[in-house]
Amino acid sequence: MRAILFVLCYSTLFAASLYVYTQFYSRPAAEDAGRLLPARVKEIKQADGEETLKEIVSETGRTGSRLTIAGMQHSQGGQTYYPGAVMIDMKPFNKVLDFQPEKKLITVQAGATWDDIQQYINPAGLAVKVMQSQNIFTIGGSLSVNVHGRDIRHESLIDTVQSFRLLKPDGTIIQVSRTENADLFPYVIGGYGLFGIILDVTLSLTEDELYEKETRELDYGEYSRYFQEEVKENPAVKMHLARISVAPSSFLREMYATDYVKAGDQRLLEDYQALKTERIVALPKFFLGLSRHSGRGKDAFWNIQKKYMLEGSGSYESRNNAMRSETDFMTYESSTKTEVLQEYFVPVDEFASYIDDLRFVLQQEKEFNLLNITVRYVEKSDEAFLSYAKEDMFALVLLINQGKSEKEVEKAGLVIRKMIDVTLNHRGSYYLPYYSFPSKKQLETAYPRIDEFFRKKKQFDPNERFTNYFYEEYK
Amino acid sequence: MGYRQLVLSQSIVFMAGSMIFPFYVLLLRNVGDSYSQFGWAYGLFALASAVSYPLIGKWADRFGDKKLLLFYSLAMAALLLFFPLVTAVWQVYVLQIMMGILGAVQKNTEKAALARSTDKKHAGSDMGRYHFWTSVAAAASIIITGYLVDFLTIAAIFYIASLLYAASGIIIWRKHL
Repeated sequence: MRAILFVLCYSTLFAASLYVYTQFYSRPAAEDAGRLLPARVKEIKQADGEETLKEIVSETGRTGSRLTIAGMQHSQGGQTYYPGAVMIDMKPFNKVLDFQPEKKLITVQAGATWDDIQQYINPAGLAVKVMQSQNIFTIGGSLSVNVHGRDIRHESLIDTVQSFRLLKPDGTIIQVSRTENADLFPYVIGGYGLFGIILDVTLSLTEDELYEKETRELDYGEYSRYFQEEVKENPAVKMHLARISVAPSSFLREMYATDYVKAGDQRLLEDYQALKTERIVALPKFFLGLSRHSGRGKDAFWNIQKKYMLEGSGSYESRNNAMRSETDFMTYESSTKTEVLQEYFVPVDEFASYIDDLRFVLQQEKEFNLLNITVRYVEKSDEAFLSYAKEDMFALVLLINQGKSEKEVEKAGLVIRKMIDVTLNHRGSYYLPYYSFPSKKQLETAYPRIDEFFRKKKQFDPNERFTNYFYEEYK
Repeated sequence: MGYRQLVLSQSIVFMAGSMIFPFYVLLLRNVGDSYSQFGWAYGLFALASAVSYPLIGKWADRFGDKKLLLFYSLAMAALLLFFPLVTAVWQVYVLQIMMGILGAVQKNTEKAALARSTDKKHAGSDMGRYHFWTSVAAAASIIITGYLVDFLTIAAIFYIASLLYAASGIIIWRKHL
């Protein structure tokens, strides 16, 4: 009798547990590199072919599901997922479809990474025109945020795109270029996945070249002049990257800049052409670790980094290798903290006064753990609808260590909004793929056409099939 | 309780236990991921066992081994149903404490039952056989589960283990074997 009672109770409990689990808990969890927005998505679907993608999109007509598109998920404000929505993982969709070395064109599926392209085109002596400094990102993701990089002679990624195919919210596929469906071109690139799925892209390439790296120390006050007169005006300089100190003893004053100057003897390229692989990263990882913990650590990291870069001055590197920097030393694991990025754009001639104002704000924020600032240059590029380079700009990428708790996020948000105000006051703007710290008003100031962008989105995708955290937050 | 009944039921208990044990860490990893949390989770388990041993020892003599082992199997079967639903570290801690207490029930009673069901002369070889069968069951289940996890989710492992505990309970429940 008691046995029957137990069997009954146990079966009931079993069924209840299974029911609750399948209803509420079996949904996969998604999170991006910012690690501030863990969410339960409805399902993660692998993009293992064009037919699959078409099916996924047309299914939403019946099921009413909403879609988000994910590549490497290095955007940090949930641009690649949304709670309860289907997340399409584009990584398996990564074939090279066509390569015409003589025309310097390559067509790849959107899930391919820059590394995939580099591996493919390096033997032919070709290189990418514009990409991030790291090569781990997918092409589709990079297009959706319209990236820029170290290259100072080609504007943003959009300028190197010939055409792409777009799977629209209604399930049909169209070709988009500057002549075909041209009105969509500036919306989809830098469109954060809100207009449909970019299937494949044709990019124009350039020659792989040999560069000599020239690194020098300078004061932040001289930087604008140095850049305009000695970098911009010197056609031999192809890429440029600078760092400004975040160490207490030289905070936002000392800088060093590396120019990639086309080497006089290009025959040497052969010796440097092999693609480098990730080196052992224990040492930079250790110093970055120290700099997370104290001002002294930051001083040590800055001095060692600067010395290392100055010593490397005069060495050679191929264009392809200059576009595949190490990233592994930055991986950071902590259950309570995370590392987030911010990127601010400020006109070249505003740089020194901007840094002065930024220093004034940050010197009052003793707890704000700023680990690194790199400075790149991006030429005016207003082709993308949400363009960040309204004029010739310096782009400052800030790496910030912060807590994940609600309180810590709020604290970081306060400082970040102050920094954005400073940036906007200097005719600047900020980059959108990061956490939704900026206020709606700041968004409208940085991107005066944002409302028009959202209107176009609603007109093109009236059922809002494609969504993400960024859209839901600011629409 | 007979020797064969003990060996069979406890073999199934070991199967279920070793099925969840290695993968239980994955659950912890999903919920919280600092080493101090691992430390606390296992520390609470051990501490809960430690403080409950003396009491359990007395109960074994008062209620009999069979009842306690039955209680262990059925309670574990029920407890495991909560594992797939865990979302916070404190829930892991609570489950660990309960697992610690139940673990102590099993360990203590298993030994008492062994001692009572064997005669002193053959105690060594009986214990040897007991450990042989229960360890074989444990090893087999670890290996099989490794493959199962590829096809099923971690949650499914907990449900299967729960059913195994229930099965071991039913074997103990039956009067003769």
